[in-house]
Amino acid sequence: MSAMSLLAAGDPLYQHGVTWIVFLIVAVKVLLGFGICLISVTLMIWFERKVISDMQARIGPNRAGPWGLAQTLADGIKLFFKEDLIPERSDRIVFKLAPFLSLVPALVIFAVIPVGGTITIAGYTTQLQVADPPIGILLAIAMSAIGVYGVMLAGWSSGSKYPLMSSVRASAQMISYEAALGMSVLTVVLISGSLSTRTMVDVQGGGPWHWNVIRLGVIPFVIFLIAGIAETNRPPFDVVEADSELVGGFHTEYSSIRFALFYLAEFLNTVTMSAIVVTLFFGGPSGYILPIPGGTIIFPVLWFLLKTVAFCYLFVWLRGALPRSRYDKLMDLGWRRLIPLSLGWMLLVAGFLVSVAWGIGMGIVIVVGGLVLSRAWELGSEREFTDSAVLPPVASRLIPPRLVRDQTDRGEGEDQ
Amino acid sequence: MCLWGVVRDRVTVVDQYLPVLGLLLLGIVFGAGSLIASKLLAPHQQATAAKVAPYECGIVPENDPPARFPVRFYLVAMIFIIFDIEIVFLFPFAVVFRQLGNFGIVEILVFSGVVFLSLAYLRSVGGLTWGPIKQLVKGMPARTSESTIARISADSSPERAA
Repeated sequence: MSAMSLLAAGDPLYQHGVTWIVFLIVAVKVLLGFGICLISVTLMIWFERKVISDMQARIGPNRAGPWGLAQTLADGIKLFFKEDLIPERSDRIVFKLAPFLSLVPALVIFAVIPVGGTITIAGYTTQLQVADPPIGILLAIAMSAIGVYGVMLAGWSSGSKYPLMSSVRASAQMISYEAALGMSVLTVVLISGSLSTRTMVDVQGGGPWHWNVIRLGVIPFVIFLIAGIAETNRPPFDVVEADSELVGGFHTEYSSIRFALFYLAEFLNTVTMSAIVVTLFFGGPSGYILPIPGGTIIFPVLWFLLKTVAFCYLFVWLRGALPRSRYDKLMDLGWRRLIPLSLGWMLLVAGFLVSVAWGIGMGIVIVVGGLVLSRAWELGSEREFTDSAVLPPVASRLIPPRLVRDQTDRGEGEDQ
Repeated sequence: MCLWGVVRDRVTVVDQYLPVLGLLLLGIVFGAGSLIASKLLAPHQQATAAKVAPYECGIVPENDPPARFPVRFYLVAMIFIIFDIEIVFLFPFAVVFRQLGNFGIVEILVFSGVVFLSLAYLRSVGGLTWGPIKQLVKGMPARTSESTIARISADSSPERAA
């Protein structure tokens, strides 16, 4: 592969070398991207509060600005004026570092998301996307993995009980779902043959029946959505911030603007996660373009916005509709269901892309694998709580007789 | 051609990463700027002992945060590394598997098979279990409406009350 074709696969902006105009365009794109991030977070927080309050038959924020639109801004400004406390038992450097580790990766993920088609400024054609590196989706996955450090170090450095528990939970949960997440992204990489997000979107360009959600079967999309919700710690998988168990989760000890940075990162992650779902499975900015002047620039952006808002709404809807999942059920879902399923589906997609015979062969392999796994589950549940178990049960203390009686209706002194 | 990093045929497309770097720096500057703004605007007073103590909903914290954790968490981290390394190797495969053809798919099948078997083994020895609930349920007979009626009638029977 020559240098030219490698570059042509990326942003055409750099095809004719880098001049000061190119630098200027890059600077404008970066600033615009940053601005879009901040504005989208502001709107997302307002949107979430408004939709949730609608679902709970409340009015929600309605004082600051029209329909309460400026409520987030007001909250943010308020947080600037709040006392910035650093707990005495905390590890001060890590405590100060953690919000950055949360916020910066969340911002960087946005860079690889294609928000529209291409535009031409001053003779230079560029994509409506902050950056299109050849490893685009890997960058996104890597950044979401670094986000785990933010959460983990925040809880660890607080020097407090509940944030520590929350951070341990969070890191176990996020790394568990990262495997399933990576495997479902792999199916998309298989079908588009590239890691660049722009190529992924281009491959899906020919209308809804070319979207990956249909071409790959719905399974990878569903796995990605579930894993994405778990990655962003959103309800129903928000055991990290389970207020009834862990006070406020990993950011309990954070106050003032440090807390605001975490909050910002959290909602930015929600927005970018919906944007990534749209990019990977719903064709990104592709959609019907009305034949009006400037339509080729406006409509892709509109389609992208529409799809992303739809997924943002889905995330909020799930929060409004579903109760919080229990921690052990959450981990079981990840390890026992999603990881084997995503692995199997990835092999199936790879098989069918090579040849139909391989696809059928893979199908047989998966059925055999499923049988092996179901036998392993049987064995596992037999050994789970006996003496031969690898791990002792978490709560192996004796159950008080009164409790047993209440739960089983067994009389005192009676045998089973 | 490129901003920098072109070595004849081996191209490292660094200019594609320039905006990413820009966004990264902007994020750091934004975070630092808001911290400085907060420092200027926030009240400056010596925080009281109660304010800098660990927050536990008003209960005065007596114990230190736990230093030990269930071994499961460590185990999950280790198993995760196995799967993550698998995915790391699968990504290059996914990009070039069309050129590799049959060879690539056999290789990946063997590789995935080994990792899959490790998952199956882990599960079969009970290595991926969470939560104590099943033990509680296993040792108990089912609670039915008959058993509840029997218990309540036994509780309220005259010889028991006396």
